[in-house]
Amino acid sequence: MSQQLINIQPLSQPVELDVAPAVFSSEVEAEIDRHLAKYPVPRSAILPLMFIVQRERGYLDPAGVLYLANRLALRITDIWEVATFYSMIYTEPIGKYHIQVCKTLSCKIRGAGMITAHCSKKLGIKVGETTPDGRFTLSEVECLGSCGTAPMFQVNFDYHENLTPAKVDQILDTLP
Amino acid sequence: MSTEFINITINGRGFEVPKGARLIDVCRDKGFDIPSFCYYSDLALQASCRMCLVRIEKMPKLQTSCTIICTDGMVVTTQSEEIEKAQRAMTEFLLANHPLDCPVCDRGGECELQEMTFDWGGLEERFTEEKNYHAERYLSPMVANDPQRCILCKRCTRVCDEWMGEDAIEAGGRGAHTVIGTYMGWLDCSQCGNCIEVCPTGTLLDGTYRHQTRPWELAQTISTCNFCSDGCQMSLGSRGGELMRVVARDRYVNGINGEFLCVKGRFAHPFVNHEDRIRTPLIRYQKGGKLIPATWDEAIRHVAERLDTIANERGRNAVAVVGSPRLTNEALFVLHKFATELVGTQNYTTTDAFSLKPFFGNLGAPLATHRDIRYAQTIVLIGGEPEELQPLTAKQIRQAVRNGGARLAIVNSVRIRLTEQASQFVHVRAGTEEAIVLALADSSNDNLAAQKAGIDSREIDAVRQLIANTTGHVVFMFGGELGAEAQAVAAQFGSVLTKEATRFLLHPLPLFNNSIGAHDMGMMETPTNPAQILDSAGVEIRALYVAGGFLPLHLEGREGALSKLDFLVVQELFHNATTESADVVLPAASYAEVDGTFTNNDGLVQRVRPSISPLHQAKADWMITSQLAAELGLDFGFEMSASSVFRQIGEKIPAYSGIRYPLLKDETSPVQVKHHVSKSEDLGAILNSLREHVEALPDTGEKLDVPGKVGHELFKIGTLTDKVPQFHLLASGNPRPTTTRVSPLYQITVDASLKETAVAGD
Amino acid sequence: MQIKAIGCEPLQLRRVHIENSRWLDVYRANGGYEAIKKVLDGMSPDEVINEVKKSALRGRGGAGFPTGMKWSFVPKDSPKPKYVVCNADESEPGTFKDRYLMERDPHMLIEGMLIAAYALGSKTTYIYTRGEYRYLIDIMDVAIAEARAAGLVGANILGTDFSCEVYTHTGAGAYICGEETALLSSLEGLRGHPRMKPPFPAVSGLYASPTVVNNVETLTAVPDIIKMGGETYQKLGTEKSGGTKVWSVSGHVKEPGVFELPMGYDDMEKFIMEDCGGILDGKKLKAVIPGGSSVYIMRAEDIIGKDVRMDYEGLVAAGSSVGSGGFIVMDETVDIFESTKNLTEFYEHESCGWCTPCREGTDWLVKVFKRIADGDGRPEDAQLMLDLCDNIEGKSFCPLGDAAAWPIQSAIKRFPQDFRKHLEK
Ligand SMILES: Cc1cc2nc3c(=O)[nH]c(=O)nc-3n(C[C@H](O)[C@H](O)[C@H](O)COP(=O)(O)O)c2cc1C
Ligand code: SF4
Ligand code: FES
Repeated sequence: MSQQLINIQPLSQPVELDVAPAVFSSEVEAEIDRHLAKYPVPRSAILPLMFIVQRERGYLDPAGVLYLANRLALRITDIWEVATFYSMIYTEPIGKYHIQVCKTLSCKIRGAGMITAHCSKKLGIKVGETTPDGRFTLSEVECLGSCGTAPMFQVNFDYHENLTPAKVDQILDTLP
Repeated sequence: MSTEFINITINGRGFEVPKGARLIDVCRDKGFDIPSFCYYSDLALQASCRMCLVRIEKMPKLQTSCTIICTDGMVVTTQSEEIEKAQRAMTEFLLANHPLDCPVCDRGGECELQEMTFDWGGLEERFTEEKNYHAERYLSPMVANDPQRCILCKRCTRVCDEWMGEDAIEAGGRGAHTVIGTYMGWLDCSQCGNCIEVCPTGTLLDGTYRHQTRPWELAQTISTCNFCSDGCQMSLGSRGGELMRVVARDRYVNGINGEFLCVKGRFAHPFVNHEDRIRTPLIRYQKGGKLIPATWDEAIRHVAERLDTIANERGRNAVAVVGSPRLTNEALFVLHKFATELVGTQNYTTTDAFSLKPFFGNLGAPLATHRDIRYAQTIVLIGGEPEELQPLTAKQIRQAVRNGGARLAIVNSVRIRLTEQASQFVHVRAGTEEAIVLALADSSNDNLAAQKAGIDSREIDAVRQLIANTTGHVVFMFGGELGAEAQAVAAQFGSVLTKEATRFLLHPLPLFNNSIGAHDMGMMETPTNPAQILDSAGVEIRALYVAGGFLPLHLEGREGALSKLDFLVVQELFHNATTESADVVLPAASYAEVDGTFTNNDGLVQRVRPSISPLHQAKADWMITSQLAAELGLDFGFEMSASSVFRQIGEKIPAYSGIRYPLLKDETSPVQVKHHVSKSEDLGAILNSLREHVEALPDTGEKLDVPGKVGHELFKIGTLTDKVPQFHLLASGNPRPTTTRVSPLYQITVDASLKETAVAGD
Repeated sequence: MQIKAIGCEPLQLRRVHIENSRWLDVYRANGGYEAIKKVLDGMSPDEVINEVKKSALRGRGGAGFPTGMKWSFVPKDSPKPKYVVCNADESEPGTFKDRYLMERDPHMLIEGMLIAAYALGSKTTYIYTRGEYRYLIDIMDVAIAEARAAGLVGANILGTDFSCEVYTHTGAGAYICGEETALLSSLEGLRGHPRMKPPFPAVSGLYASPTVVNNVETLTAVPDIIKMGGETYQKLGTEKSGGTKVWSVSGHVKEPGVFELPMGYDDMEKFIMEDCGGILDGKKLKAVIPGGSSVYIMRAEDIIGKDVRMDYEGLVAAGSSVGSGGFIVMDETVDIFESTKNLTEFYEHESCGWCTPCREGTDWLVKVFKRIADGDGRPEDAQLMLDLCDNIEGKSFCPLGDAAAWPIQSAIKRFPQDFRKHLEK
């Protein structure tokens, strides 16, 4: 959709994909409703809803995409164009724990490289890869707003700061 | 509405320009060249290519002229060292990741980036790094895609959204990794190919034409589309007697449709050179025998003899003449002349889905052009499904609403896709559209209509109010759901529904490229219709002369009718259900091989021009008819030229008086024929019979909440689209192939099991 | 890491060290929600805007636009709903102050938003928080729920006829969504591309309605401005830069952290060497990026002994700017070529791809940097990079392009030796 006021008309044509749309529990549906209630236009809830789908299904899979298109009365391309713009939305499967090492300047000069190297060695994967058991994905990401407590990484949504290799070991070893 | 003018200065010269004008348009209009990629008239502004930079006094940075509305006293510079450096820089940036292998690119020779580089590119290539790579791929049977060449002007995504309302192609990813495409990589859309057309580079390519010729080898011929009644202007590209592609690129043609075409206009042309074209005249000497090739002389003589005999033995009305609304005005005029002046039969008609006679016979307002639709303030659409049947009209409606703020009211039994743009949707039961017409004409019928249509009578009043409160102009459109009385009533809506001052325009939505022309040439003036002719075949009618085939809708349930005739002669491109029973088949030339005109649903007469010479032994329809007439002893005096036929049209048909080919030369200023308009017709009698008709309507029709899938009409296999493999893929649901890789070794092929048989007679 | 005020009484940081500072009762016990009460007790919207104008508060998001003036651009007579949007997208490298303000004192932000909403006639407000700060969204949601239960958010706030909703919204990993128009696109559920200005958000922003976008720190300054009066607040700082400013300090200092300084704090050298504990491991100061990654990099010699005043004018005079207040200190071990490469990679990653110069320019620049880092530098590369920056600067659709160019331009000019050593081998 181009840069214009959002088209509030419902779609005349239901969206089709070769999969069945995702189904969620009534609690999740209620959570989705709470997000939708915040906005005059359903489309505004697209990012919060994508996070929910991701949480429930591991990543934004085709069934989740179809669910969102139907739920928000949008076309598949509307979901796709948004999903691929944002770096936190995963359209491909990802490890259970996503280790995101900040690589931007403040962390970089305080040892981010060493943390990445340590994780890489410990997990036996390179940056951008996932362990064969699907448990860890290792990424380098841009500034996470922890520059004063560098170096740091985020495991899923959790911040871990002032890292040292020993601390990294302790964090990764105690993950459930 | 008077335009206010303001003064601006460009490069030291003063100009008066209309208030509200866009700077880039003004500069170009005044002869100052401004480069641009993303700016495209009447699409949402993008301002992303940053090519159109100018300096405006009192503004801090260079400004994009595409986003600037002129204000009084503005002082603009379009050429300076600073601006040139910036423009050269943008070209350099665009080329950075763009492959520099124009010789292997399909767009080479008509690429805007190539041209821009010629004007604004640097001498040396400073980008020596590795280019980002994306593999070439197919996005659909029609659309090939080379993402590397994309400059992200997003014209494609904007036309897909704003023109087509489909939003099927979009930008995914971010930054330098942004790629135009679609989820899962396969385009499920109406395949209009407008994204290909507006693409300035070789990113989106015609998948059916790729690598067949170089653009500069093609001879371009401006002509008119031979599918629906919208009458899009197009440029036929041919090489060595073969029609290779059809485009509407503004470098070749600038008609009512701009660069718009639909899937049929753009991609269905390969039927022209198809190997199944009928090559020679064919005669079946004995019923039940075979069609045997013959010479033209022999065939014409044979037909003349047989028609003559039957007319003499059985009476003139025993000979019927039927012409397809796909034929040119010239062909239909000559056919009409043949039927009336030579044969003298009452039994002649056109194989259209419905007759326009009641409408034009009672016409109370002028026809709307597509431009009128775009700038309408109110649009009312009763019945029809323009997005499938008249795609240009649909695009104009959509833009009128989205860009022009027009209000759209739709009365339909199906929630057609255009309802997404509608401010009012009256969802009636199938088959009750006429009830709404009745109610609009006379509000005392509101309750009757509401009851029949299954709606609230206030919904009818709301439509009435919408029209009455319009200060700009109103366009009223209707589809084939309206019968004779309803059409006649609707034709007078101008005086019924609006105040004197409102401009009220009508826009009928017939199905064929020359439905209006067929009416104008007189082929709809008899009370008979194709079904009746078939019904009396072998009874009252003994001989039938058909130019073009019958529609399946006519033949359905009347399968044996044609074989009951003593004599059937058919002019056709391909063998079909009609030629099966023919005693003589004459090879006709297609629209790409003849001179002529079509009259579209705007009432515009537009030229058809030969892009290639007639194939094999084919001849133009009008020529075949005149030769037959000559053989029967009447020389029409056309001296073998379509223009002389048209000269007679101008003399004989009042609406066409004064029009000559030279006046039709320029597709940018098309000529509207002058259909007779008369207001203040007393509607009493027609209304009464319409009311009786409405009262008899069942109130059991269905309301459909989901429209047919995109393309459900467009992709129907007809005699012509049957010849194009890609249409079979579309008709069978556009399945995603196992690989979408593009390579010389892999071309899209059609599995025989997917082939559907022709159904739609076109 | 430290959080404290230096050279002034803590305003923004007043409650950060109080136990349970994020809870409503603690906030109220420490002066919270008094400003909104004062406002609703008899100030007109115009009076509120006037106080903010008098305070000389300038936007803390980076652009430094006078907040009172921004508010006064919102048309009063528009029939459309009006929106206040808090920009908590905080993604500018080196910046993390908003995070601590929200973490430790969420109600201060809510109060600021309510006052802004009252002044602008808005009934709906959103806090757009970057997706990575999920835990802050949770904190804000709890605080909003508390405030709603106490009649401070929702209908008839404090029993008056002023009603206002505060909602949280999440981003999903895109720096560009900190740019206010891109933020609005994103909030509408679109790709986060910036939009054309004009129309400015104040006239046509969220859902094409009048909208004010303010940074977290800008909004959290508002309750104090109301309480102490605009003039008093302004006097805490300088004439043109009123009040206090919260800086995020990172890099090679002994005590990084979040510091609240009065605008016009007199000496950057003292700030680094004393307030932040000096350079780590006794190394020498080499460079400072004082206002987040986008501003001009400063050399040690432009700071040491130069009495650089820390406010908008002072930093401009010293050859840089306040930006978002992300203060990155680099010692002598840092190769400015490497640090600039790092930032350029950031901008390349975050360019939204809308416009040609930023999309292609950052991609090209990163490739040049990488080639040089791989040992294939050429002497003419410095000139090439400067020219590419010049071709981006001022020509991009939004300021991200400029922001990508400035660090490179200033680094090459101010640290030529660091580049030269990679280019001439
Ligand atoms: C690329 C870019 C990124 C930005 N990121 C932020 C941000 O993360 N947080 C923020 O408050 N402002 C950011 N801004 C500034 C906003 O556009 C806007 O000026 C600010 O939110 C206005 O609030 P203020 O007047 O209170 O500063 C950014 C601007 C640009 C150009
Ligand atoms: S400068 Fe252009 S490409 Fe870069 S972020 Fe802004 S609009 Fe997007
Ligand atoms: S035409 Fe103006 S920016 Fe592209």
